[in-house]
Amino acid sequence: MGITAFNSSAFPRVTPWECFTVEWFSVLAEDKRLLTGLRNSLFIGLGVVCLSVPLGLAGALMLTQVKERVRPWYYTIVISPILVPGVVLGISTLLFWDRVGVMFGASRDSFFYNGFFLTIIGQSTFIAAYTMLVFISRLQRFETVQEEAALDLGATHWQTFKKILLPFLAPAIASASVLAFLASFENYNTTVFTAISTSTITTVLASKVRYGIDPSISALAVVIVVLTLIGAAVHEILKRREIARSKLAAEVAAGNRLSIGKQTPWYFDPALIMIFLIVVAGVGTTFMAGTMGVEECKVAVKTEKQRATQERIKALRERNQAKRDVEAAQQAQEAEQKREEKEGRTGTENFNSIFNTDNLAPAEDAPETTGEPENDPSRTGTENFNSIFSTDNLAPKDDSEQENGEQDKKDEEAPRTGTENFNNIFDTDNLAPKSD
Amino acid sequence: MLNYWANYFTRNGIGVGMFLLAAVLLWMVFMIILPQLYMVDFSLRANVPPPKWGGEEHVYTLEHYKYLLYGSSKSAEQFNTIDLSVFGRTILAAVFVTIIDLCLCYPVAYYLAHVARGGWARLMIMSLIIPFWINEILRAFSFKVLFGTSGLINNALMAVGLIDQPYDFVRENVALYSGLSYAYILLMIFPIYNAIESLDKNQIEAARDMGSPWWRIHWRIVLPHAKPGICSGSTMVFMLSAGALAAPQVLGGPSSLWFTQIIYKAFNNSANWARGSAYALVLLLACIIFVLLMMRIFKVKLGEIAR
Repeated sequence: MGITAFNSSAFPRVTPWECFTVEWFSVLAEDKRLLTGLRNSLFIGLGVVCLSVPLGLAGALMLTQVKERVRPWYYTIVISPILVPGVVLGISTLLFWDRVGVMFGASRDSFFYNGFFLTIIGQSTFIAAYTMLVFISRLQRFETVQEEAALDLGATHWQTFKKILLPFLAPAIASASVLAFLASFENYNTTVFTAISTSTITTVLASKVRYGIDPSISALAVVIVVLTLIGAAVHEILKRREIARSKLAAEVAAGNRLSIGKQTPWYFDPALIMIFLIVVAGVGTTFMAGTMGVEECKVAVKTEKQRATQERIKALRERNQAKRDVEAAQQAQEAEQKREEKEGRTGTENFNSIFNTDNLAPAEDAPETTGEPENDPSRTGTENFNSIFSTDNLAPKDDSEQENGEQDKKDEEAPRTGTENFNNIFDTDNLAPKSD
Repeated sequence: MLNYWANYFTRNGIGVGMFLLAAVLLWMVFMIILPQLYMVDFSLRANVPPPKWGGEEHVYTLEHYKYLLYGSSKSAEQFNTIDLSVFGRTILAAVFVTIIDLCLCYPVAYYLAHVARGGWARLMIMSLIIPFWINEILRAFSFKVLFGTSGLINNALMAVGLIDQPYDFVRENVALYSGLSYAYILLMIFPIYNAIESLDKNQIEAARDMGSPWWRIHWRIVLPHAKPGICSGSTMVFMLSAGALAAPQVLGGPSSLWFTQIIYKAFNNSANWARGSAYALVLLLACIIFVLLMMRIFKVKLGEIAR
């Protein structure tokens, strides 16, 4: 898919490959609707992070405090949004807040009917459950003794919360925020119902994909993938550093300074090398494309296409001419056959088989005639008629719609359809007596 | 009870305690429970224009559920074959996608957990994760590029000579099923991976030493150990593919509808919100039944599923 972003063909595809181009990226950068959607999505994502991270944190802390008997019920309720289809969440949020709005007598342009507000609420419902799971797994390693010690030493509850619990949870908060943002950014099922008239990047993309598309979508995918790869690489490096630091600390603590140099440096990691290579290759090819003559290539492709179409038309004309000759010859033959018909029943085996159903011989003859269509005069007429018709129709189209990607296919298919029709007719005619 | 609350506030302090309480109440009551209940209520009411909601004409009725069953809210003579068959097909297809994912992911998860080592394992995991940071719709769309009549797969097959005419994968729903299976592969791999990883390797080696063939090792040792992971993975994949909207919209063939698409149409095209919410509720019920069934079959608790 990423490759299609660099093909100059108007429809996103890999084959036939036309020209290597970066123009779809500039098309992407000028797409107003997409950019608005992107801005809205970023805004909603931030809102979701701000709402769902505290909710998830509270939910996780509460889980350790509710009574043993209530805990399974509590857990079932807060975890259920993950398992409920996103469509259902979107609908219920939309309906409920509309009701609340009516209850407060709010007008239609108050925040109860605002796509931003509804989307943030709707997405947070289930994203908070994700963040809660992140916090729960971190909290399992938390020693409550620390809190108790702080309280015993005279710290207030707020101080304990701020100075002990929050620093301990900091990595979890960071990863929960990233998770929440990403989940919000790519959510579609819930957003499509709650976003009313606000367009987010996913709704814009969905409408783009459904009603006409060009490779600027692929260009967007390339941008996202590259950003993702860079993000992944940075994350990996940071993780490596952290591991190395903790190792170092452990070794220093153990009084062992000798083995420090032994660990493999981070740049030997195959995963990192792979990511690095992909990014370099991507950026390199993009840069190359800018320096190569895109326009020249395009013109070349265009003339090449024109030439191919011309040749095809020529070939079709020649074929038709040949067929006309054959037709003329056969008409002569037909006349001859008709003469013979008067004398005997030669050449009319097909018709005989309809009537002589109990006779097996004609049924055996039928497949033989399938192999030689030229023997049947009525069929030849149909074939010629069809193919002449299609070439006449196609020729002007080919000239006018050079750029249309689907055209090639039509060219190839149309004559075939003629033959197919012809074959089918023939089959049914012949098969009817057989089935009897 | 009073004792409990007193205890709660002495343990957390007033400020933090209030914050926790308020946040959890907001989330549980105003974001989870009340909206769902209100949707149930709404689906049981007549379809009237928004200004009359809550008014006298907004009466309780079963007409939307009747419509799903019979195709008209009055007569009960014939079943609503269109909507019901779409519903049945959606559920069956979701089960199908779940099975495909299970077959694909179990070997991969086992490989990741017990065979792959160090950097390569990380590379594999990363190459599994990275595609999932791309937008859902773009992912579905890339499958359309792959499976289209002039797409990569058709061209490759034609070049090799296996087929001489492009095969319409989209019409045959092949594209949809593979797109859905691919979309939720991670949700299947990671639970199974987590479950298998905790398996003691000595058990496998002991079985091998005793002369057990590889398939029996998996059947008797690895599979039973991975059961909670398989259960949670299957539940997630089923739920998400039954409730998917983007992939069927992009990849669905002209003759195939997904149940969520009918719900979407009820909201956007025919402006019948009540019917849409009734249908959504039916979908929700089907999903809940599936989860309960999985929990019964695999004998695991809900807490183990959502991890």
